[in-house]
Amino acid sequence: MAETFPINIWINEERFKALQDAGLAGMLKEELAGMKVMIVSCSEAQRDKVLKVFPMAKYDAATTKSIELLPKYVKDKIYDMAVKRKSLAVIDEFLAGFEKAGDAFWNQEIA
Amino acid sequence: MGLIGHGGKPLVERVITDKAEAKKKIAGLKEVPASRQMATEAIGIAYGFFSPLEGFMKKADVDAVAQKMELADGTLWSIPLVYDISDKEIADYGIKEGDSVLLTRNGNPVAIFDIEEIFTYPNEEIAFKVYGTKEEKHPGVARTYAYKDKFLGGKITLVNPPKIREPYTKYFLTPRQHREKFKELNWQRIVAHQTRNVPHSGHEWLMKHAYIAAHGELPVESMEVMGKAISGVLVNCIVGEKRAGDYIDEAIVLSQDQLRTAGYFRPDIHMTTMTFWDMRYAGPKEAVHHSIIRANLGLTHHMFGRDHAGVGTYYDSYEAHRLLMSIPKEKLFVTPIFVLEWAYCPHCGEVTCIGLCGHWKELQKFSGTKIRSILLDEVKPTRLIFRPEVFDVVMDAAKKYGFGSPFVTPEYLAKAAPAFSFEPL
Repeated sequence: MAETFPINIWINEERFKALQDAGLAGMLKEELAGMKVMIVSCSEAQRDKVLKVFPMAKYDAATTKSIELLPKYVKDKIYDMAVKRKSLAVIDEFLAGFEKAGDAFWNQEIA
Repeated sequence: MGLIGHGGKPLVERVITDKAEAKKKIAGLKEVPASRQMATEAIGIAYGFFSPLEGFMKKADVDAVAQKMELADGTLWSIPLVYDISDKEIADYGIKEGDSVLLTRNGNPVAIFDIEEIFTYPNEEIAFKVYGTKEEKHPGVARTYAYKDKFLGGKITLVNPPKIREPYTKYFLTPRQHREKFKELNWQRIVAHQTRNVPHSGHEWLMKHAYIAAHGELPVESMEVMGKAISGVLVNCIVGEKRAGDYIDEAIVLSQDQLRTAGYFRPDIHMTTMTFWDMRYAGPKEAVHHSIIRANLGLTHHMFGRDHAGVGTYYDSYEAHRLLMSIPKEKLFVTPIFVLEWAYCPHCGEVTCIGLCGHWKELQKFSGTKIRSILLDEVKPTRLIFRPEVFDVVMDAAKKYGFGSPFVTPEYLAKAAPAFSFEPL
């Protein structure tokens, strides 16, 4: 199976409810004394594209083996898209949306 | 008898506090602008943070530090403190050996520098001996390679005490002031927690572990009364040059102090202060340097955890422990307390030491990266992992000082005011 590269989105109570409604609550992982994290997996190509488009992000190859330091607004958009699509496989759509709209993407409603 | 610092030598205090005297002493001196780092280290030298150094190192000291991890007189020392300067600056300011010059910062007086020696020393030699590598991607090596053509060695006398800005004002204590505070608190043993992090509960437990170890065989009876502690934890935050992605210093200092304010430590056993120093990330050698600074602050013990002051994969996790253990007791003026990681165990339902808990496969280790990720997402962690009061302080500091982020950003690097400045005399 091909290696995947996670983006970790930490979930508070309010978001947990929205994810329950979207049927995604069962896909959350528990870490650090019951904290919930939504793991959005990227392929290698998607990881490279995320790191290119958001140069402030880093792939932590040493410890967590995840894509880190993505700004909150970026992760918020990925989260919103996952809830809307009721799926965690949203990275291609997310990247395409940003490539098409640029910074206007952050204020756009998800169709 | 005066105060004694590292090496069993008198604590250095080379500060003129009388403005009239300072003005008289600097009259007619050539003015030489100091970089932020050089001004930072001049402050540290003058107040005795780096005792027994009375000034920037001369060649014999640099050589002894590089080759033998000691000063020319045999005192344990691990990182050179040098004043670098270009040939052009030497020519422009007409600097020669035997001169006394006035170091300035942004046009205001800082310190008198008695230039006893102008010398060179191979940067590669310093880098390899101190950092164990010549790779420029090591931040300490990069700093070393960036040194200018020559070094100036000689004594420093501060003529203009720095103005410390908020929120740091109450956290900056000189070594003498630290000792006065310890005396007031009646602390017989004090253990240092070196930090450049905001505290999660893994850090909190490291401090508790170190406190209990340092208190050792001292009596506990008096401690049944609040205010009667006889030992304490000093959180001494390193405030200095930052790199993008580091926690902002304001968040570090304020959140560490919040552990006491919010009652996770009793007010009579916990104190937060800061030391100005640019981290060199020298791992084991930096651990020795930290022990020297804390001995000068008057501490008796120093906690050393995993990967102390390291960077990347340059040092083994416990290399600092091994180096400290190799140093004869009579040369190290604090007692090291070596600590293992603390982690959350879902089976025990608590934060526990990995050296104690038997549920190894279940342990959830604190990862700095994960904690950063949680803070970036602005999700309040469970209180077992990160105290809610501490989280609130970190987020407040982000708004107030960090341009919205608890981490150093390009905006913070460009706009944040320096922690200290100098006013006209």
